[in-house]
Amino acid sequence: MNEPAIEINGLKKSYHDVEALKGVNIEISKGEFFGLLGPNGAGKTTTINILTGLVFKDNGITKVFGKDTVKDFRFTRSKIGIAAQEFSVDWFFPIEKLLFYQAGYYGIKKASAEPTVNSLLDRLGLSKKRNARLRQLSGGMKRRFQLAKALVHDPDIIILDEPTAGVDVELRRDLWQYLRDLHNAGKTILLTTHYIEEAELLCDRVAIIDEGKILKEGDPKILTQELGSAGITINIAENKSELKSLFQDFKFTYEDKRIHFSVKNPDKALPKIIDILSNANIHIKSIKSNKSSLEDVFLDLTGKKIS
Amino acid sequence: MNWVGFSTLIKREVGRFFSVYRQTVLPGLITSSLYIAIFGFTLEQRIAEIQGVPYTLFILPGLIMMNTLTNATANTSSSMLQMKLLQQLPDLLTAPLSGLEIALAYIIGGTVRGMVNGILVLILGVVLIKMPVYDLFGTIVFIFLVSWAFSSMGLLLGQLSESWDQLAMMQNFFLTPLSFLGGIFYSIYMLPDWAQTLSLINPIYYMINGIRYTTLGVSDSPVFISYTMALILTLCFTFASIYLMTTGKRIKQ
Repeated sequence: MNEPAIEINGLKKSYHDVEALKGVNIEISKGEFFGLLGPNGAGKTTTINILTGLVFKDNGITKVFGKDTVKDFRFTRSKIGIAAQEFSVDWFFPIEKLLFYQAGYYGIKKASAEPTVNSLLDRLGLSKKRNARLRQLSGGMKRRFQLAKALVHDPDIIILDEPTAGVDVELRRDLWQYLRDLHNAGKTILLTTHYIEEAELLCDRVAIIDEGKILKEGDPKILTQELGSAGITINIAENKSELKSLFQDFKFTYEDKRIHFSVKNPDKALPKIIDILSNANIHIKSIKSNKSSLEDVFLDLTGKKIS
Repeated sequence: MNWVGFSTLIKREVGRFFSVYRQTVLPGLITSSLYIAIFGFTLEQRIAEIQGVPYTLFILPGLIMMNTLTNATANTSSSMLQMKLLQQLPDLLTAPLSGLEIALAYIIGGTVRGMVNGILVLILGVVLIKMPVYDLFGTIVFIFLVSWAFSSMGLLLGQLSESWDQLAMMQNFFLTPLSFLGGIFYSIYMLPDWAQTLSLINPIYYMINGIRYTTLGVSDSPVFISYTMALILTLCFTFASIYLMTTGKRIKQ
């Protein structure tokens, strides 16, 4: 299949008089790890809920492997596994049985689902809890169960809505590793998050969404280089008055032997700054560089912090 | 048609109520036994016979019907509302299941619960007070039809309700009074004329009299009308609940 795994074009959605999505366009290739990055209320969950059939769209095209998610819902839904942000609660059945039911909804009989269910329970550390009810699991275990439920029918596309929200650092790193393994196994992953680190570490490509619009899309490293402002702080040995003329092309502040440069690309800018200071015989005492991050990109684009 | 998905959901719905049989199966048997003991045996001394049938026997078809329809309604309505409120519904709505498959699986789950409860009270009557069953096949068909109709109605109510309070209101203010006023404990000919006329617009009156005819061979209304009413209710509620599910108007945004 050469079709994009996910294709979203001109997607619009309003809840009463609130415009949640204002024409979202996203294309995700097969095997890509894609991040949808934005603050709460940006439109991330609405986008994936439309894709998976939980929310009606007002306008636009949503396709999975070239098939319309409404007309060909059986095909598109069978290709997607979704781990929702909110936990579901079931009072009646043990978690192992819930996984068998979940596989059944996707047309997989119990006998065929058994190896997958066992391996998921093992991999996600839930084997000992297979007979427990959901209410008996900790928050982290519930989060892992959400992931198991999304994977039980071995989908080609995995959609994860804030998969590490509310989990401790150790589990977050474990889940990240598992997501990397899934990606390496060829799965297409769409991740929504407001954790910058998560998107930077995992995603091949990210789209920054705010107030229902995609503001920027691309490789997180390139985006941070192109759009993010990084800081370079240099402490010099003596106070100098000629800095303004030396650094006409730079944005900087100077106070008490401390020069702070705000640059787009610190890797390019730093050698240039050092060159200028050396040629002017200004002695450098220390250099500190703060790397640009997606957070800076988001700040540049929206003028606000992501979380 | 996603047959495996469809049958999985039926198994889940049936398994759900069997897993809590102390809430969903036993209470019907206990309350029916109490009704037989308290209403039947005490009132039998004052009301000897109605339409030639001893009073304790006379009330039993009504008890079967009340159990059938309240359980069928409760299964689908509470399961649907629970799924909505506890975030379980997205698991179904994101799966490759159509609205028709989901609705039918729910209705079948509720029908099974209605039939299990109805048939258990029927057996209770046969064992406890030697109730004769005039037409066993007709009785089972009638229990099935009523279970299906009220299971569909429950699915409709479950989709329409936004809270337990709303659901309880519909059940307490409509279903229970209509059941009691449908002639479980009396023949409508014992009522004043105006109340008799009023009873004719109560659909549950026809359900109770239908099963009274198939079990005891007596009825306030012709059995043909009871079957027709049961069929009309079944078709109306089935189409309405499936329509609402397939359009997704009350379960999706």
